[in-house]
Amino acid sequence: MGEETVSEQAPAREQADPRRDRPVHVWTLVAIGLVATAIGIALGFAIDWFPVRGSTQADDIDTVYHVLVVASVPFFVLVTVITLYCVWQFRERPGEEGLDGPSIHGNTGLEIVWTTIPAILLIGLCTYAYVTLTNVEEAPAAGAPKELRVDVTGQQFAWTFAYRGLDGKPVKSAELVLPKDRSVKFQIRTLDVLHDFWVPEFRMKIDAVPGITTSYRITPSKLGSWSVVCAELCGVGHALMRQKVTVVTPERFDAWIRRKQAGGMAATGAAGGGGAADATDQAAIGKTLFAEGNGEATACGACHTLSDAGTSGATGPNLDEVLKGWTPAQIAEAIENPNKDVAKGYTEGIMPANYGDTLTKQELAALVAYLEKTAAK
Amino acid sequence: MISHLRAPGWYRATFWTLVSLGLSWAILWAANGFDADAVTGIGFAQVALLAFPLFFLGGLGAFDYWFYWASGRPTRPEDHSGHGATSWQDYFRINTDHKVIGIQYVVTSFFFMFVGGLMAMLMRAELAAPGRQFVDPGAFNGLFSVHASVLIFLFIIPVFAGLANYVLPLMIGAPDMAFPRLNAVSFWLLPCAGVIMMLSFFAPGGSFASGWTAYAPLSVTAPPGQICFTIGVQFAGASSIATALNFLVTIITMRAPGMSFFRMPLLVWANFSTSLLVVIATPFVAASQLFVLLDRALGFNFFNAAAGGDVLMYQHVFWFYSHPAVYIMMLPGFGIISEILAVKSRKPVFGYRMMAFSLLAIVVLGFAVWAHHMFVSGMQSWIRVPMMVTTAVIAVPTGIKIFSWLATMWRGVLKLDTPMLFALGFLTMFVLGGISGVMLAMIPFDIYVSDTYFIVAHIHYVLFGGSLFTIFAGVYYWFPKMTGRMYNEKLGKLHFWMTFVFFNITFAPMHLLGLQGMPRRVADYSEQFATWNMIISVASFALGLSSLIFLYNMVASWRGGKRAPANPWNALTLEWQVSSPPPIFNFDHIPTVVGGPYEYGVPGAVHGVFESPATASAEARQPAGAVSSTAKE
Amino acid sequence: MEAASVHHHGPPAANRSSRVHPALLGMLLFIISEVMVFGAFFTAYFFIRVVVENAHWFPIDGVDLPVGVASVNTAILLSSSLTLHWAQTSIKNGNHTGLKVGMLLTFLLGATFLFVQVNEYIVLTGEGITPQSSAQGSVFFALTGLHGAHVAVGLTLLAIVTLRSFRGHYTPEEHDGVEVPGIYWHFVDIMWVVVFTTVYIL
Repeated sequence: MGEETVSEQAPAREQADPRRDRPVHVWTLVAIGLVATAIGIALGFAIDWFPVRGSTQADDIDTVYHVLVVASVPFFVLVTVITLYCVWQFRERPGEEGLDGPSIHGNTGLEIVWTTIPAILLIGLCTYAYVTLTNVEEAPAAGAPKELRVDVTGQQFAWTFAYRGLDGKPVKSAELVLPKDRSVKFQIRTLDVLHDFWVPEFRMKIDAVPGITTSYRITPSKLGSWSVVCAELCGVGHALMRQKVTVVTPERFDAWIRRKQAGGMAATGAAGGGGAADATDQAAIGKTLFAEGNGEATACGACHTLSDAGTSGATGPNLDEVLKGWTPAQIAEAIENPNKDVAKGYTEGIMPANYGDTLTKQELAALVAYLEKTAAK
Repeated sequence: MISHLRAPGWYRATFWTLVSLGLSWAILWAANGFDADAVTGIGFAQVALLAFPLFFLGGLGAFDYWFYWASGRPTRPEDHSGHGATSWQDYFRINTDHKVIGIQYVVTSFFFMFVGGLMAMLMRAELAAPGRQFVDPGAFNGLFSVHASVLIFLFIIPVFAGLANYVLPLMIGAPDMAFPRLNAVSFWLLPCAGVIMMLSFFAPGGSFASGWTAYAPLSVTAPPGQICFTIGVQFAGASSIATALNFLVTIITMRAPGMSFFRMPLLVWANFSTSLLVVIATPFVAASQLFVLLDRALGFNFFNAAAGGDVLMYQHVFWFYSHPAVYIMMLPGFGIISEILAVKSRKPVFGYRMMAFSLLAIVVLGFAVWAHHMFVSGMQSWIRVPMMVTTAVIAVPTGIKIFSWLATMWRGVLKLDTPMLFALGFLTMFVLGGISGVMLAMIPFDIYVSDTYFIVAHIHYVLFGGSLFTIFAGVYYWFPKMTGRMYNEKLGKLHFWMTFVFFNITFAPMHLLGLQGMPRRVADYSEQFATWNMIISVASFALGLSSLIFLYNMVASWRGGKRAPANPWNALTLEWQVSSPPPIFNFDHIPTVVGGPYEYGVPGAVHGVFESPATASAEARQPAGAVSSTAKE
Repeated sequence: MEAASVHHHGPPAANRSSRVHPALLGMLLFIISEVMVFGAFFTAYFFIRVVVENAHWFPIDGVDLPVGVASVNTAILLSSSLTLHWAQTSIKNGNHTGLKVGMLLTFLLGATFLFVQVNEYIVLTGEGITPQSSAQGSVFFALTGLHGAHVAVGLTLLAIVTLRSFRGHYTPEEHDGVEVPGIYWHFVDIMWVVVFTTVYIL
């Protein structure tokens, strides 16, 4: 079957009519194809496809894309140019009804060519992708600053972050703050369903999977403030599961950590002191809980803006505005039964309904005391 | 009345459905120790949804013959009363004629296409601007989940089964499918699955909203509407397995004399390959949903990590079906394109054997690529690289097909009517989908774009620009054969150009949105994506309108189009050698195949001959066609 | 309907392009599909027994699987394949008594298997192993339960065949009704060997 069986002179259905013979403009086609490829590749580089390159990994991954564009455009151009040329040159013109084309059944040489060339190209691309993959997942070199470890915990519908391996106390936060030019390894867990921890500017992402800890590392390479995005469908609040990530200079990062450690120590110490804490301590504990959570309960600040606690979450109502004039009972009710009375414009079921279980009685009381005090300001 | 309830039909089906509801309640009542208060609504729904389709089918008469046979009562294998359709009502009965079933399939699945398309319109209305427009996030999640499930399980997969049901037995010279009664059951399972999925909109908490992928554990904890997906998929899956089995047996055992495997039209080859995929892979999706159902209904721990379950197991089992499912939704389309390009270019298919082998290569490789959907799932990282390589390699047989189609057109005489335009549209659009597919195979790039709009763009270039374009091409191509009428060519071309243009304006910008960081499956997005989303929404409404042109063209042409000749395209394959529509039993005599199916340009070439040369011509077939209208007295 | 046959002569007989009987081929393809269903369940088994963190298998909480009872039960099920084969051979040779006795024995052996299996469930549940107690329990009950459901379907088919054989329905020439359910029953038996080996022995 393989050999070319061209019956050029063979007349078509209608014996009287000879096979029509149209010129084939091979070189024109090649020229058009080359020009179109050049334009396509140029466009591929000219269009601003990506967000800011916020990590060293982003450079590698963007390069992969551009290499793929260079490899793909010729194929698309080839198919499109040949299709359009066939339409233009070989279309049935008036008077050609009933004519057949030449009975070409195949050409083994051609078939081998268009099997092997794509195969070689694809294996080449795979090799390149594999090399890039090892690069982006590589641990920092020996001389680099010590890698930062951040535990990321997802819950419907917020993230909490815990900094491990610091000098001194671990730090919990509802906001992700990272130092520039220092490799950071995220260890990702989830308390309920699948989530996916993604900052588009860093390019890397991975699912948070119940039962296992997943991880990836990036090295932030730009100062700036972007969004942490949940990329795996996790329920009704999936589209709203956004938080802030800020990349700062190493000096500012260290200062931020020290500030956090100081605040966190006070809170933990007071909580350890038991029920004897006075009102000021209560509010301090409440503030910490609001901004950091307690490891099981997600920080309120992940979703709510409250200027006193320095949080800027936008998933839930802005507590600077809505809390005014609330009684402690109302506040406690809104924390424990969030779906009973949902603020206008917000959807039922977004706020975790398990604060009654994840917060201890004392913690809840502290949180309410803090919020009442803040609301009264 | 009693006789109505005893005879197979809609009265008995309604009655038996009600019986199944009562029985479901009684079973739960008994299982709960005869405590009526302990029977929960959700428990009842789970049992009833599983039971009612079987009772409905039984009532309709789908199993009557088998009951008779199993009990040893006299059956009449020679009873062809279930053949042919003389009025529209016949399409609402159990009918064992593959041509009737084919039309039932195609019409039903197009109904679901409009349902799924309407949901897409609602989603685009919501996404036209940031913030909340029409639906809340929960309802939005429900819309995209049902949209995808309906279009995949109730449109693309069954519409190909429907087209093949109609033309495949004709193409291989068989009087019907191998198991006509099983064929009827396959079809009637489909509306049952559709009804179940639609019912989810009435469930408390809304329709199932965990995507068509229904990843555990979200699907385990989701509101009760989720069971409509888990159970609906069981019936849709059973339907496609039964059809695939039927195709395989028909193709293997019922080909006309002389129809060797390498004389089969490529549509037959395509459905042979697809059916292999279905028979082997579909049980996995059924099982994955069964696990979810067991976890939900009976408190099993398959996906409960705290009790030792494994969440990623769901994704492995699911994608072991759902990646081959992509080929299940594509290979029949490849077959359609091969038919149309050969006939409309008046040339043999270039490299016929490689076209057939590449289908089989895709079948084999298709089982070795599933985990490329899971590069960011947190699975063992060593699985990624082998999956990347297999995924890249599967592009090779696909490339062979594309290049062979181009070579088929080269120096042909191209008739640029509607089926051909859709075939050419498919060729260019599918290449784009294939290219973005190869990009996605590359792990570092996939890590960035998975779960973004880049994926949405890719899947729509493959399933809309790929599958749907071939479906339109196939429907226009065989419309004269199936209805005996010609469609309106002007409207067909208008439909193509509107679809082609607005398809691209709708889905091409999604690549850019995804690369810029817009995640998929979100009801709301940040301001920076607003402009493109508005453009996409407007274009998608125009795309929606274009399908109304198609609907009008099909309905109006079926009712009052020009009468179609037996062979309007001057094609060689067997289905065009009989009248349009074909006679009730397809052939008076089984034809004998004497040559390849695509010998265009070879003087005097024929594919099949009928016993008596006189009956081979279209005019002589007319009396046979007339019989079909009087046969059902 | 009778009038219809006057007007036309029915479909032409299809050409037989393969030596394999369509019903047999259909049953084999169906069994391939069934094997894949079991395959998916074995995938679940594999992940929960091997892949998951802290993976373990029975004994759970000191409760071991009753391998001894299950082995005897395996022997019971396997012997039912032999009696079925005897019944099938009998009818091919025109021995109706052999068919009847063979079918009845097959049915009773199958029913015994199911009975023992249900008892095992009750005992295990009493010892605290349930599908709800752990993922291992879920997999155990799902795999054996899936097989049990196949046995139940097979028993229904066997019951029909047995009843019909007592009504004298089969002849040496016409016994597809014994053959096709027989293939299914043999498949169910073989599948059990795989389930038994993976779940109880390994």
